[in-house]
Amino acid sequence: MTKSKLGTIEAIMLVLIIVVTHTISSLPREILVLTKSATIINLIFVSILAILFSYLIVRLMKNFAGSDIIDISEYLGGKVFKNIIGIIFILYFLISSSILLRNFCESIKIIYYPMTNILFILSLFVIAICCVNRLDFNASLKTNLLILPLVLASIIFLFFANMNKFVPQRMFPIFGDGLFNTFVIGLTNLSAFGGIAFLYFLPPYLKQPEKMKKIALISIGISAIYLMLCVATLLFMFSFFINTNEITPLYNATRYIEFGSFFQRLESIFLLIWILAFCCYLSITSKFAMSIFKKLTNIETKKPLIDIFGLLILAITLVPKNYAISDKFETEIYPYLVLGICFGLGISILILANIMKRKQKKIQANSQTIS
Amino acid sequence: MNKIIRNLFIFLLIVFFIIAFSSSYLSLSMDNLAYVLVIGIDKGEDNNLEVSFQFSTTTKSTESGSTEKTPTVMDSVSAPSLSTAINLMDSYMGKELNLSHCKVIIFSEELAQEGISEEIYTLINDTQIRPSANIVVSKCKAKFYMEQTSPELENLISKYYEIFTNSSKYTGFKPNATIGDFFNAIICKTCEPYAILGGISTEKPQNQGNSQIQQNYDVKSNQTPIEGENGSENIGIAAFKDDKLVGELCAIETSTFLALRNQVDRFLVSVPDPNDVKSYIDIYVTPKGNTKVDIDTSTTSPYIKVKAQFDGRIYSMSSNSQYLDPTILNDISETCNKYLEAVFTDYLYKTSKDLKSDINGLGKYALGNFFTTQDFDNYNWTNNYQNAFFEVQIDTSIKSSMLITET
Repeated sequence: MTKSKLGTIEAIMLVLIIVVTHTISSLPREILVLTKSATIINLIFVSILAILFSYLIVRLMKNFAGSDIIDISEYLGGKVFKNIIGIIFILYFLISSSILLRNFCESIKIIYYPMTNILFILSLFVIAICCVNRLDFNASLKTNLLILPLVLASIIFLFFANMNKFVPQRMFPIFGDGLFNTFVIGLTNLSAFGGIAFLYFLPPYLKQPEKMKKIALISIGISAIYLMLCVATLLFMFSFFINTNEITPLYNATRYIEFGSFFQRLESIFLLIWILAFCCYLSITSKFAMSIFKKLTNIETKKPLIDIFGLLILAITLVPKNYAISDKFETEIYPYLVLGICFGLGISILILANIMKRKQKKIQANSQTIS
Repeated sequence: MNKIIRNLFIFLLIVFFIIAFSSSYLSLSMDNLAYVLVIGIDKGEDNNLEVSFQFSTTTKSTESGSTEKTPTVMDSVSAPSLSTAINLMDSYMGKELNLSHCKVIIFSEELAQEGISEEIYTLINDTQIRPSANIVVSKCKAKFYMEQTSPELENLISKYYEIFTNSSKYTGFKPNATIGDFFNAIICKTCEPYAILGGISTEKPQNQGNSQIQQNYDVKSNQTPIEGENGSENIGIAAFKDDKLVGELCAIETSTFLALRNQVDRFLVSVPDPNDVKSYIDIYVTPKGNTKVDIDTSTTSPYIKVKAQFDGRIYSMSSNSQYLDPTILNDISETCNKYLEAVFTDYLYKTSKDLKSDINGLGKYALGNFFTTQDFDNYNWTNNYQNAFFEVQIDTSIKSSMLITET
């Protein structure tokens, strides 16, 4: 993976893919349920915070040029700490992507394959990941670079095609369930910016590491606009997402697109694009998980890991007995995982490592003056 | 050797997946499906539902090459719920009912008065039902309505059901009421659901000549003076409070409803001729921009101001028409304003005082007056709507007549 370096746009798309795939699943609904009519204000608020956090991450990582969070952990707490952090991030990538895959496949099963066992639908995705992961990392990135603009375009199209059904007044009452709910409890919506997780691992892979700040700010900015479009589409179109739980809310919005009696039923095209985006997301997260594992174990090649990680993903997707459990994970546990690992743990490690570095610098400076 | 094993493994995998997905493919195969065009739901005996399904059949071509009217098949079943009815019909037909081409869902007036939320929730839960399927409330039994519906100008009944609401854009006599909007409105706190009012053209209005109907446009389904091959008619709105039918709106009220919701391109009104009290002038009015609504919620009686602007073109002509005289056009504009203000005010008070149902969705304009959802919930808009007062301002500008300006 280190052989193939990432360009700026590729890196931006990498961060975006996490946000995009989660919005295809139930993310917009969860944001709406939490902050109701105040969602637009809340999203502006959390977007500003996310941009500030990403800026902070870039600033803190500046002192460790070319290192990722695993290297920084080693610097901070030695090999044991590095292994702990590495395992936490591997589990985070594997569990979050697996459960997301399970939820997405449940939706596909309900919509298109009612008679097919979900195992086969899941297996198709896992086989696709295993095949893609045998190729160079660049292959995944280039595919991502092709697919993601399509997804972004589809969401913009979804927004404008449904515009005639919008009731903009649904953004009122402006503070939803109150100021506390919007600005304090609503902080949970920061979890929508799960793409920040990749920022910790990007530096060693960048062609131009000095552009890290630009990558972080642009990717989080685009994520914010994208989220805003998704949520606004649902908020302005439907009154029921606040009270009723529907699978894949954006899919529901696609069913309303009609241009006369000729252009109808466009949802299949949307679903096809989203399936491709899902494959990109899964291959990228599993590749990152494998490269962390490789770093922890010092193995030479990750080839033997490909099938093992594929099977691991399949095994995790099969753990939830039903949709209720996997949905509970995605809606009630995943946001706190993002907040805890991406924002809490990651930034804490960076802050502590920076303090340590500063202390060491001071000690070095003192010893130099004494000598 | 390794290559052979790998290829064998890939081959087995492909076979495995073909078998796994074939069950879903077979269930979606056209040979195994019966496409439902219309669902009619009536109240049956012993708390059962009587559900009727209209199916499409294949088109027969005649020797001359012209296409005959495609026959449809209609079957009914009595069952405790809609899903049981579908299941029983699956068994009877020997095919799985597919609702993805269902254009219309008809409820009988009797059933709608008792509440139809259960049926709506069941239908919306079905992945096959399109949110654009229309909802009709029939004044007669839904089954009878379906039997009587026989489009005169369309060979395919599915085509007729697809386009039958199109005329609402230029007549304003029926809304495009879809199941998606209905479901949205059931849950919505600022609006109430509505449906198309359907009926059978059997009852003729008594002591009401054509001229009087033209003056008032107070006709609705089951009461129109229309005679034709198509036995069914769809004029007016069935208004709901929550999921229960609470009243009906006639043609001119429907036009008003659509104008308030900015869903009509133009509609015809008959206003008294300012120069001859006994005669009426037909004017095509076209909304000029969106209707503006302002709501004062400082008391429990919301004060609702409605401002609407229209352009008008005179449609009817007589032997002494002088439509190039600005004074006459101004006089007609004034008369039109007064007439429309009266129509709008009467209509709004009817929804507020008689129906107690905000089918117009005016509540959305009140949302901006509150800071939190709790404040809005405490205000109890759906209940307070019945205390509402209305002020209507109409500004009509009559441009001219159409081709002939003076006679």
